[in-house]
Amino acid sequence: MAMNPMEQFAIKPLISEPVLHIAGHPIYFTNQALLMIIVALASSLFLTLAVKPNRLVPTRGQSMAELSYEFVANMIHSATGEDGLKFFPFVFTLFIFVLCSNFFGMVPGSFTVTSQIAVTLALACLVIGMVIVVGFMKHGIGFLKLFVPHAPWYLLILLIPIEVISFLTRPISLSVRLFANMLAGHTMLAVFAGFVVSLGAAGGVYMGIALAPLLLIVAIMLLELLVAFLQAYVFAILTCIYLNEALHLHDHH
Amino acid sequence: MAAPDPDRLTELGKRLDEAQKRQAAGAKRPPPSQAGIAGRFATELVAALVVGGGLGWGIDWLFGRFGFHTSPVFLIVFFVLGAAAGIRNVMRAATEINAEIAAKTASKPEEK
Repeated sequence: MAMNPMEQFAIKPLISEPVLHIAGHPIYFTNQALLMIIVALASSLFLTLAVKPNRLVPTRGQSMAELSYEFVANMIHSATGEDGLKFFPFVFTLFIFVLCSNFFGMVPGSFTVTSQIAVTLALACLVIGMVIVVGFMKHGIGFLKLFVPHAPWYLLILLIPIEVISFLTRPISLSVRLFANMLAGHTMLAVFAGFVVSLGAAGGVYMGIALAPLLLIVAIMLLELLVAFLQAYVFAILTCIYLNEALHLHDHH
Repeated sequence: MAAPDPDRLTELGKRLDEAQKRQAAGAKRPPPSQAGIAGRFATELVAALVVGGGLGWGIDWLFGRFGFHTSPVFLIVFFVLGAAAGIRNVMRAATEINAEIAAKTASKPEEK
């Protein structure tokens, strides 16, 4: 039996009838949508229920919620300073959503929302849109100074387009990094799982060899858990760095 | 229960403050792995090329719509600018990573 390692990323409608029509396009309820709803519900339910007891000595759940709160608060504080903490809800929601999507994707047989470029690009555009709105609200037209480095005027002709392109690169590099990491990791897992299946089916001596990729899967699985956290962290910290630039323009540290 | 000794309480408060400060300084950050750094540089560089090329192509297309056949002048110019922006991105990323590593080694010198 040949397995397609990319099959796990296929988006399939779960209900054969379109749920609604928007401008003539049928909108289906897909496995993607289901997982996103599960992630959003599970994370918000967990976080609200975990802090409900509100004990001085926290329970395990409360401790987890408080730790994630402090982790993100520290991250924003160190990257943007005091006034960045206004954006805590935004960054925290992003971080938890990406983290939970990555972790839910690690459950065998489930679907990784963040392995879809559509999702990560939408998230990245949200971040950059936020940065632009915040920048213009805080500095007015002066926000455009972000694109003007300290240089003699004749170099600015060359440098301003470069800075603009560099800024426009952000949503792409932000989304591609998350998407590529998740896609690569899950493809690798599926490929090695395929080895186990075909070696096991071959029988005899091959059954023994099948143990090697099996052990490797366990190792990659652990690595993927680290990557799942790391990519959520990178996504959040880069959001903070971009927000910092919008808030403070050129005075880098 | 006996009333708490005020001296001991202030002392405890001081120790708590110090511990919190220490924790904030060495805020837990995952170490940047070699592969992670390489991947970051690659995406920054390629993304800038794609954006630059795309912009140039778009400008050419726009001018073409109005009857000016500039193609492929802007594509070439913006592709080169995109390459420059990519190198700028990589340099910026490298500065960030250097600062991160420097902050880490400075905050906990006793660990080997």
